[in-house]
Amino acid sequence: MIFWELLCVALLGGLLALDRSAGWNFMLGQPLVGACLAGSLLAGALLHPGSEWGLWALRIPLGVGVLLQLLLTDPSLPAAQKPRDAATAGVIGASVGILCLERLHPSFSLLTGGIIWVLVGTLAGLLSSVAGGWMEATMRAVNQDRARRGEALLLEGKVAAFEALYWRGVGLLFLRGATWSAAATVAGVAAAALLLPRAIRILTGPHAGLLFAVILGVAFGSGYHTHVRTPRHGFRWAALGALIALGVFVQLKKGGGH
Amino acid sequence: MKNLDFAKMTSRSLYLQALFAPERQQGPGFAFALVPAMQRLYADATERGRALARHAGFFGTHPVLVGYVLGVVARLEERRAQGAPIDDQKIEEQKRALASPLAALGDPLFWVTLRPLAGLMGILGLAFFPLASTVAPDQRVLLCPLLVLLTYNAVALHYRAHGVPRGYAMADEPGKLLHSLRLKPLKAIFERVSAFLFGFLVVLTLGPMTESADPAGMGLAHTVSVLAPFALAGITTILALRRWPGRSVELALTAALVALVVSTRV
Repeated sequence: MIFWELLCVALLGGLLALDRSAGWNFMLGQPLVGACLAGSLLAGALLHPGSEWGLWALRIPLGVGVLLQLLLTDPSLPAAQKPRDAATAGVIGASVGILCLERLHPSFSLLTGGIIWVLVGTLAGLLSSVAGGWMEATMRAVNQDRARRGEALLLEGKVAAFEALYWRGVGLLFLRGATWSAAATVAGVAAAALLLPRAIRILTGPHAGLLFAVILGVAFGSGYHTHVRTPRHGFRWAALGALIALGVFVQLKKGGGH
Repeated sequence: MKNLDFAKMTSRSLYLQALFAPERQQGPGFAFALVPAMQRLYADATERGRALARHAGFFGTHPVLVGYVLGVVARLEERRAQGAPIDDQKIEEQKRALASPLAALGDPLFWVTLRPLAGLMGILGLAFFPLASTVAPDQRVLLCPLLVLLTYNAVALHYRAHGVPRGYAMADEPGKLLHSLRLKPLKAIFERVSAFLFGFLVVLTLGPMTESADPAGMGLAHTVSVLAPFALAGITTILALRRWPGRSVELALTAALVALVVSTRV
């Protein structure tokens, strides 16, 4: 794996971890954003389109991002949410998908298309979100001690020392996100390189298609729970949206549009 | 207090949760964001440190709306430094009286409604931006995340930018301040838009899926059999999430495993 690719993943992962955990909350840490940014950085296809896999290289982050966005958006209030690291999951998922495509593409039949790499990336993203959530919980224990030390420094009148301690906390968050993103990407690509060639018999086009349809179904079920079931009168508004879309769709079909 | 102090406090409030821990939550971050105000008010380092230490205890509100609390506290601390009879308890009471309702109104607006809506806008971008040709880069990879960022920040940045000066100006009228933010009506609007767009997305996805399910024209039974895994997974997830909310990841992994096993056996 090229050092430059890992550095990109690490820097992006660190930045998105800051967005989610430090308090920026600009939504850079949303899985769709993270996956697309990782895709733009890693896929040389943005600059050199038209290569054999170039087209898929940019569809993988979009596919991974959309699935993770629907699956990892929890409509509960923060205190009731399961600990998931959704910020780095998009970066890790898209990176694993693209790097696997680059390296393992010749081993697989073209019939499976790029969907197989979207699936690999999505599964990597889901697993990393769970493991990243556990890491975040341990980070909070470290923060507890630092916060007590910070208060002691303030009571002694050492405001500059308190500020330095606080900035170190910010740096630690960045480092955690960066190292976790790079390490999980390496682990994901290594696991895929080890397991996928052995599963080549079962990973045919139809199997990959079925797997994709099932994960897409779960993603839409999860999306329904987030966007329709949680708000009041959500179903009515969703039905209205569906009806209007249906009308547009039928009109476009009649007119021969796309 | 000068505008520069407000700007410094706003920029520091972006790091509110860097030392987040269950015991004090955003307390250390609140003290960190107040440093510019305290530097203006207290020349003596020990006095300044003690004043900040009073704010390093437990504190929790919505991070986007913290500026309003910072503004109110800065105003009270300023009066106290100027000799007004304001004790620690009064400042703490005012702080909590504003922080708790802001959390109660801000969390459902920003976390439960606007964040999912922003993600949904990004996903819908896939359908609305043109598909790339085989020789050109797919611009959607940049446009879709941009839609997410614009949707969320168009609302959130407004509250972030105005928080500290507005809180400072309306420090004596916390009730009026809360009411003026109009957080509840905004939530109701975004909820409806979110549900509406999800319905739109389902049809936009199912339409092409149904068309491509039967390219050879083998009939309705074939189309249904092709779409069955998607529909079955979707319905099972909706039912399962009622029982186990927040378990989408586990459900997706289990469904993938089951699909893999079933597909190799059939």
